[in-house]
Amino acid sequence: MADSSESVHSMQQPVIFTTQTQYPLPTQKFMIPTNWRRYHLSQLVNKALSLATSIPFDFIVRGEILKSSLGEWCLENGVGEEETLEIEYIESVLPPQKMTDFPHEDWVSGVLCNLQGYLLTSSYDGHIRAFDYSKNVAASSHVHNAPVTSLSLVPSPNPEDSKYTVATSSQDLTAAISSLELSSDDTGTKTAILATLHLHTAPVSSVTSNSSGTHLLTSSWDGLIGLWSTTIPSTDEVPEPEGSGNRERKKRRKVGDESKPRRKAPINVLKSHTNRVSKVIFGQEPGANTAYSCGFDSTVRVWDTDIGVSTHTIAAAEKPFLSLAVSSDGRHGLATATDRTMSLYDLRSNDSAITSASTFLHPATPSCVSLSESGNQVATGAYDGVVRVWDLRSTKGAMASVKAWDGEKKVLDVDWKRGIIGVAGEGGVEVWKVGEAVN
Amino acid sequence: MAVDSDRRSSRKRKQTEEDHETQPESKPVQLEMLTDEEDANEISSDDGEADEFPEIDANSDSEADDGGNSSEDEEEDVADEDEDNEDTEETEDDSDDLDSDSSLHVFPKAKTVISDITGHPKRVYPDIEPDYDSDSSTEDTPNRVGDIPMHWYDDLPHIGYDINGRKVLRPARGDELDKFLATVEDPDSWISAFDKNLQTDKPLTDEELDIIKRLYQNENPDANYDPYEPMVEWFTGKGKEEVMPLSAAPEPKRRWIPSKWEKQKVMKIVRAIRQGKILPNKPKSTKKIDFYAIWSDQPSTLQQPPPPAPKPRLPTNSESYNPPEEYLPTEEERKEWEDKDPEDRERDYLPQKYSSLRLVPAYDNFIKQRFNRQLDLYLAPRIQRVKLNIDPNSLIPKLPSPNTLKPFPNYKSLTFTHTTGRARCVSVSPDGFWVASGDEGGVISLWEVNVGREVKRWTFNGKVSAIDWCPRTDATYFVVGVGEDLHFLVPPNLPEPTFSLTKSLLAPPTLPPAPTVPSPVKWESASSASWSVDTPILSVHLPPSSGSPSQITWHRRGDYVASVSTGGAQNGVWMHQISRRHSQAPFKKVKGLVQAVLFHPTKPHFFVATQQYIRLYNLAEQQLLKTLSPGIRWISSMDVHPSGDHLIVGGYDRKLCWFDLELSDKPYKSLRYHTRAIRSVHFHPTYPLFASSSDDGSIQIFHARVYNDLLTDPLIVPLKILRGHKVSEGLGVLQIRWCNKQPWLLSGGADGNVAVWYS
Repeated sequence: MADSSESVHSMQQPVIFTTQTQYPLPTQKFMIPTNWRRYHLSQLVNKALSLATSIPFDFIVRGEILKSSLGEWCLENGVGEEETLEIEYIESVLPPQKMTDFPHEDWVSGVLCNLQGYLLTSSYDGHIRAFDYSKNVAASSHVHNAPVTSLSLVPSPNPEDSKYTVATSSQDLTAAISSLELSSDDTGTKTAILATLHLHTAPVSSVTSNSSGTHLLTSSWDGLIGLWSTTIPSTDEVPEPEGSGNRERKKRRKVGDESKPRRKAPINVLKSHTNRVSKVIFGQEPGANTAYSCGFDSTVRVWDTDIGVSTHTIAAAEKPFLSLAVSSDGRHGLATATDRTMSLYDLRSNDSAITSASTFLHPATPSCVSLSESGNQVATGAYDGVVRVWDLRSTKGAMASVKAWDGEKKVLDVDWKRGIIGVAGEGGVEVWKVGEAVN
Repeated sequence: MAVDSDRRSSRKRKQTEEDHETQPESKPVQLEMLTDEEDANEISSDDGEADEFPEIDANSDSEADDGGNSSEDEEEDVADEDEDNEDTEETEDDSDDLDSDSSLHVFPKAKTVISDITGHPKRVYPDIEPDYDSDSSTEDTPNRVGDIPMHWYDDLPHIGYDINGRKVLRPARGDELDKFLATVEDPDSWISAFDKNLQTDKPLTDEELDIIKRLYQNENPDANYDPYEPMVEWFTGKGKEEVMPLSAAPEPKRRWIPSKWEKQKVMKIVRAIRQGKILPNKPKSTKKIDFYAIWSDQPSTLQQPPPPAPKPRLPTNSESYNPPEEYLPTEEERKEWEDKDPEDRERDYLPQKYSSLRLVPAYDNFIKQRFNRQLDLYLAPRIQRVKLNIDPNSLIPKLPSPNTLKPFPNYKSLTFTHTTGRARCVSVSPDGFWVASGDEGGVISLWEVNVGREVKRWTFNGKVSAIDWCPRTDATYFVVGVGEDLHFLVPPNLPEPTFSLTKSLLAPPTLPPAPTVPSPVKWESASSASWSVDTPILSVHLPPSSGSPSQITWHRRGDYVASVSTGGAQNGVWMHQISRRHSQAPFKKVKGLVQAVLFHPTKPHFFVATQQYIRLYNLAEQQLLKTLSPGIRWISSMDVHPSGDHLIVGGYDRKLCWFDLELSDKPYKSLRYHTRAIRSVHFHPTYPLFASSSDDGSIQIFHARVYNDLLTDPLIVPLKILRGHKVSEGLGVLQIRWCNKQPWLLSGGADGNVAVWYS
């Protein structure tokens, strides 16, 4: 081994560095010894730029993150030593570090890391919970008497101190809007169900709120997407079911004692999916009226919520989609499917022929996907209990992978916000810190 | 002829001259007539002369000498007399002249006289009188106008002029009546013709009549012409050969120069042969039969050539003339070898050692050895074994690649674990979102296909042996077989209309009238007040000791459900009708143990599988349609294709049979891929897929494309072997079910796991 490294040492590979970070190197050809690894290259870039604090970089060679030495990579890919390699470097994602875990008694279907200091979870026992970072349950509310499938924070226009509005979707065919009061002192938390949303005839798979908090979208297994306003009506918009509906109502009444939740009807119903809609999300731009949905009919659809029609459809072949994430500019969509792939789609182009730009292969069913705030990295959780962090430029392998709960427990939701990844699933919730770009 | 006539006419002129002299001019017409008649006589006289001519010639050479004198003299006299007679007769009467043939001789007759000089007889012709009248051409006719149109004289009293310039008067001609009278009275009128020159009728002479007669008979008009006269040999015979050339002229050049014209002709033919227009040697159409000896040569094609003789064994070290010491026999061995019979010896020689090749004696057994080998070759039958040289790859059927037949399940996405026992049965809801699975511990779990989270759990006493969802889409419930009961369970979280319909179906407020025939099967509904989702809304109690229902299958409309109970005292095939709340046993007695039943997806047909046979009944007409014999010793499961035309049957003896119901009672294909007993087979409702599970813990996925046209056979392609279930106590995967709308598979195993296989 030593001999070979000695012999390799003499060889040098011409390399050009490119980057999209704010640390560009001058465009020139470097002769790099072929036994250099990522660490050496990172040091080279740091020295060349003479940065005050050293920043670790990762290097992408032809869509693949460099993990071995340069010479071994060239050998593997059959690149001659006279070819000039173009290497793109990105700021390295430090190996994720586990911060805390929040054990649950039941499976956790959703997690939100949006709130500073708190973590919101929704569980299959019908509760939504809020944790502070010291593992204390700040609030717990039994919202549904069936498993809660997802939750979403509704941003309020005038952010009060500790009062939040949370939308949840459940398998009891409804979604609900609840208020959650998180007080720092011990006096108690107040949760109340404000309204229940009645449209769907099958379990509601996801709920999402737009960035201004005025509207909600719910997707259901019956193929419909409901558009709702977040205002709480003074009276029921949907009449109480007759007769046999008593049973469910009784239980719900137990939860919300003081004020009965209002029954809301949707503003609009978006119909195009022919099978279960697994995920719907709002566009991130403020004031935008676009929505994105994916479903088991192997389509990703872009909706105009104002007029309620599908403006663009990406039809894949036999890819029942499980989850969807859309970049903040609405340009790219990432959808995971049951054929163990995550596909990157260009949502703007109308040419259906060039829809899938790249495919990220997983060893197990990727159930959830979350884009980082920078938009270049993405985290996926799979049924083998591994959360993988990918760079969108490198399709061949994950940049980092995290094994949650040390076992084969399914990851059902990931949320990557503010540098932490919340991982929800069969074993509860874990929070991992991912060293993303220091902006 | 003209010369003759001239000559004769000259003689006649002489006579006419005499006539003219003797007779007055008043009878010119008679004169004219006479001359004409003489003309005719002269013509006919040619006969005699022509006849005589050959005689003369023939005699001229040979008979000239002997015996001619006397006769010639006589002839001379006769001729003289004749001449005299002639003259007299001619003057006297015309008619006599006409009659006598001899008078026709107008040529001067030759006389044979003895020449005074030579003394030989010679022929002498009378002298021609060279006077003025000798030219008879002018004295022929008195009218000398010549050959002019005679109508010029029509208006004149004369018809011309004679030689002296006197007018020749027109002869008198009678009128028509005279003509007629002439024909009647004159016997010669029919042989008379109009003479143009004399303008009067003239009777034809005998010669003219003779000519006319010959012309009528298409004969030569010359009476003397003999077409059969003998040939005269002028040049044959001795002494008559022509030995000298006729001409002394040198041979012309064209005789010995090749003809250019001929060359061109030949070249034309040669060119045509070259171009193939002419076949030089055309195959002869008449085929010549060639005979051959039938038995001479043997039929070589039928009888194969004898196989080559086996090669004799190569000599070994011991057969060397100088073998190593260890090959040499010891004394005992030599003795033993010699004592044995030649047949019993291991080898037919003893190794011997010679120090050099020079000392080796002649091999005394050579002849014997050769003879034995020949005997072997002759007596031992030898067969040439035909080696089949077939590429084994060509025997593999051409099947499409599995990659082109996607989607099909190829990996295990998640498992749901039953902790209390084997997951014996599993069923998927018609919408494909929920799974109900039961284990032998009595636990029934309802869970999502996609996440695998249990939503609801029911617990019963006794093994859960069968589960099936009702295929109705407007009502949602499923049936489980536990112990000897069928329980109808309703999943939670149903939308209100579905829930109320389900409830009204299974626990109607007013029960339908009890059937007239009492059934041993008891139906028991939970009262709507006390019922909750945790308990069955309807229970059907099968008669006691009927065994646990091993299979429950629904009719596609969702009103009938059939259950098969095994292990009981009697064969328990029961058919339950939900709307009437009634159960009946469709078969009074079934031969053999019923293993499985199935409703036909489109027709009112019912499949019943016993241990070895599958019978197809028509329920509407209550009769047996056909019996299928798959050749399986013990049938474990079966499923019918959604089209209803195909059936797959799995057996405990590892065989899987595909039946084309339209085709035959025998299986279209028998597949034997599993290493252990097949437990469950299932067709996908929409995708062209089917799967089979086995006790070896594996599931095999097949692509099964069925074509609409009856000519194309179904295409069955093995796609994937799914492994992941553990075999516990000899049991592997107990039941498999397809997810309805997706190419996903659910499998319940003996290890208590229910796995979901995604595409």
